[in-house]
Amino acid sequence: MGRPGIAWAVPGVLFFVLFAVGPMVLVGYLSFTDWDGLGDFPSISGTGNWERLFNDPTMRQAIWLSVLLTGVSWLIQTPVALLLGVWSAGRQKNRAVLSAIFFLPLLASSVALALLWKSLLDPNFGLISDIGPWLGIEDGNLLGTGDGAFAAVAFVAAWQFIPFHTLLYQGGARQIPKSFYEAASIDGASTVRQFFSITLPQLRNTIITSSVLMVVGALTFFDTVLILTEGGPGTDTTIVPYLMYETGFQAYDMGYASAIATTLVIVATAISLLMVRVTGFSKMRSTREGM
Amino acid sequence: MRTAVQGSATRGRRGFGRRHAAKLTAAVLAASVLTACGSGGPGEEKAGGTLKVWVYQDASTKVQREAVERFNKTSDVKAELVEVPGEGYQDKMRSAMGTPNAPDVFFNWGGGSISSFVEKDMLVDLTSEIQKDDKLKDAFLPSILNAGKVNDKIYGVPMRGMQPVVLFYNKDVFEKAGAQPPESWDDLLELVDTFKKEGVTPFALAGTDAWTELMWVEYLLDRTGGAEVFQRIQDGDSSAWGDPAVLKTAETIRDLVDRGAFGKNYASVNYTADGASTLFAKGKAAMHLMGSWEYSNQQANQKEFADKGLGWTTFPALPDGEGDPKNVVGNPTNFWSVNSKLKGAEREAALEFVKTAAEDWYAEALVDNGDVPTNSGSEDMLTGHPAPDYALFQYDLVRDAPNFTLSWDQALPAQQASPMLTNIQKLFNKQLSPEEFVDAMKALK
Amino acid sequence: MKTAVRPEHRPSPAAERAEAPQKRNDRGLLGRLRRLRKWNMPAGVASVLWLVVVGLPLYVLVLTTLRDRDSYFDEGALSLPGDLTLDNYRTVLESDFLTYLLNTAVVTVATAAIVIVLSVGIGYTVVRTLSRTSQRIFQFFLLGLAIPAQAVIIPIYLLITEMRLYDSLLAIILPVSAFCLPVCVLILSSTMRDIEEEMYESMALEGASQTRVLFQLVVPLSRGGISTVGVYAALQAWNNFLFPLILTQSRESRVLTLGLYDYVGQFRVDIPALLAAVVLSIVPIFVVYLFARRQLINGLMGAGGR
Repeated sequence: MGRPGIAWAVPGVLFFVLFAVGPMVLVGYLSFTDWDGLGDFPSISGTGNWERLFNDPTMRQAIWLSVLLTGVSWLIQTPVALLLGVWSAGRQKNRAVLSAIFFLPLLASSVALALLWKSLLDPNFGLISDIGPWLGIEDGNLLGTGDGAFAAVAFVAAWQFIPFHTLLYQGGARQIPKSFYEAASIDGASTVRQFFSITLPQLRNTIITSSVLMVVGALTFFDTVLILTEGGPGTDTTIVPYLMYETGFQAYDMGYASAIATTLVIVATAISLLMVRVTGFSKMRSTREGM
Repeated sequence: MRTAVQGSATRGRRGFGRRHAAKLTAAVLAASVLTACGSGGPGEEKAGGTLKVWVYQDASTKVQREAVERFNKTSDVKAELVEVPGEGYQDKMRSAMGTPNAPDVFFNWGGGSISSFVEKDMLVDLTSEIQKDDKLKDAFLPSILNAGKVNDKIYGVPMRGMQPVVLFYNKDVFEKAGAQPPESWDDLLELVDTFKKEGVTPFALAGTDAWTELMWVEYLLDRTGGAEVFQRIQDGDSSAWGDPAVLKTAETIRDLVDRGAFGKNYASVNYTADGASTLFAKGKAAMHLMGSWEYSNQQANQKEFADKGLGWTTFPALPDGEGDPKNVVGNPTNFWSVNSKLKGAEREAALEFVKTAAEDWYAEALVDNGDVPTNSGSEDMLTGHPAPDYALFQYDLVRDAPNFTLSWDQALPAQQASPMLTNIQKLFNKQLSPEEFVDAMKALK
Repeated sequence: MKTAVRPEHRPSPAAERAEAPQKRNDRGLLGRLRRLRKWNMPAGVASVLWLVVVGLPLYVLVLTTLRDRDSYFDEGALSLPGDLTLDNYRTVLESDFLTYLLNTAVVTVATAAIVIVLSVGIGYTVVRTLSRTSQRIFQFFLLGLAIPAQAVIIPIYLLITEMRLYDSLLAIILPVSAFCLPVCVLILSSTMRDIEEEMYESMALEGASQTRVLFQLVVPLSRGGISTVGVYAALQAWNNFLFPLILTQSRESRVLTLGLYDYVGQFRVDIPALLAAVVLSIVPIFVVYLFARRQLINGLMGAGGR
């Protein structure tokens, strides 16, 4: 029986090579130049950017902040999303209505949400000036302190992305066969116990997927930082993607920015490999065998 | 858009021709790619020869709008004004300059904001153009024209009002506290205590926008060590950051912060959304160190306050300071520069266009708009200014200033300016001690 | 609040859901009583708490857009304004909002279309070709799964400039489409693998060409995957901010996200107008959410949903 040739994939592959793979190679090349964004195609000028990268305290701080943000995000988002997801998997009417509200933040772009939160966190006129004192934030001075601004970024990220992960867990929870719970009920297991002995283990794969997506998301988490804190105060919320943007498009040090970007690409490729390995995407034969 | 995409999916249902669905998808694809190319695609300006004139969009833009209109009445080559929203003008201009869509004539701050273009020969050298034209040569205040120079050559024609940094104060708040505007540094420190007792923030400060903090540093360094210190830095001597005056300046800032001169939550206050200006106008802060545009800003947003309650004065001298207290910092003005890619008739037209800024009607239009033009003879026009007192105050301030230091973030190349602003913000937020601040500044390459 | 949510974990939401088909008909008094018994306090409290966290900001958002500027500065964010006004929405609609919306729509549709066409081609090859090359192609795309388009914005800026596409909508469409491909290829090839071998065989018996097999068998049977892929790509394009920020400049090619950002400079003090723009930017997606919830959510989840 006839099978299609490779030709069907050619346009897509070429397109991907031109606009995705090409730039990835080019960014590596640019990291060895002193390009300032103007004039002709830059030529190689040496390894200066890389030497600088390994000795740059701002870069070191940015890596630490990125890792920290990913970690903190995971710690906030996973439990909340897991519990909300399992809860909203129930088909009761009140749950359906509340879930619909809970998912609303999903519909807005990061830019829209960052602008919303920036105005809410205005120390003199925003929501925080009204409720700050109840939360222990005197003067509404949140974005002005290093820890406060970091917490604000992590909180806005959580606010924005928890609905997404809740959806993942909702889907996962709905696939757990009810017979498991029936058997446990007959054995007289408490609800808390059922949660830990049935729900949690059954959601293992969903937890992995959700966690991987959180890590990937942290690599791109840029819009919110630009609008909410501009990496500040000082450099206290300058995560790696933002540092790359600032170096490239505000200081026009495109060579050094490319070195930072190359690091991001390398880390991302490593994560992709890990993802493929952990989730078994490459071996997966059909949707039904999926997670 | 959703219907189109999904349409092809749902209509593919059995019965209804699947071929149809495929065709539909293809049609949508073709149509959308075509429209994408059509709208906003580059390269349309070729026909007829149009000059793309970029300007920073704000309340003063209407003067440039008028200039373009007038110019287009007589010129064969037409000018097209592109108003770029203020947020990130510098970045957008810089990104566009590297592309074929670079502006032909554009608004800038002179100095470091254009030095990298000069290096790459991307701007028309206007020196001889201005020297050979007697009218043009004397049209502007010399200190202003000088401030925009790069490597001692003129690349910009002044096209906006002067923007010195001025110490504004809220008259009502002062009256309530029975206080007088500061004439010396001691006065100023005393006022800090007075207003703290009144429960008013002494100085409004928009700490999320580091360039507002920069204004304090600029004035303090100028008063402490004179204009020469920064001049050396601007000329490329980064060891000048090690001058004792820089450390003294940083210590003074730290002292002000510790005294509570800026209140407690300044680090979260913004300027772009008018946080600081509103606090000031509403009497929650007594003073505000800001560019002279603050006046028109308040006029636009808090008219009553601007008319009755807004006072202004000069930045006081420091005890033992070496700088001339008549020196000014800020933006001398803004400039038109011409892209050197223009050739022949288009270049001629562009030069004609930028020269309109030297004409009397242009200066008058600036005055009507509430700006103070930098034209040499504009003093007499200022009686027609909506606030003649304020206009004359500025004009005299700038005319009598031995030195007008361009805002550092515009004077230095972008590679240094952006980390410099970060360091200043850290100094204000006590994340850097004065000593650490000096070290960080010395490290700017 | 995290810990507070925990005890809500009532035994078996999933179990209930699984029973649902049979239970549908005991909606009567008995059913209600049963549900009442199952209602538990901690879950209720926790969900109400979360409702506050999500709802309060949204409430303030909508309320603020109905205030005038003075009321925003003088009254607290929570107080009800004396006079409600729709002027802020008018301000936004008169500030090129519709141009930006149209640009975004073009970018979104074009990206979705390009991605669908290309990834169907790739998916078909990956699933149906037995050669090793096709497996390599698949793995090649998988490597791109986690690579963020943002990381290569600098070379893309160089590339787009060299191609003379700077400040056009294509500058956004092309790279965004390219970076959607890995996830979309993954989604589509797993959908296509579900098509059973016999169906191909019967098509082959009829003597169908490969093109016919693709359009009459593969495409119709992977509708679900295709719509997911389309919505996923559309959302990537719709929400993208960095690419428009760097690669476009003029008003004519400004998309919604960049337009919102530029409103900050344009409206300045006018926070109520800015927030009205934020609300208006959510409306189109909200409408889609109301009418095509399932597809939207599948698209949102992208590969995560599988």
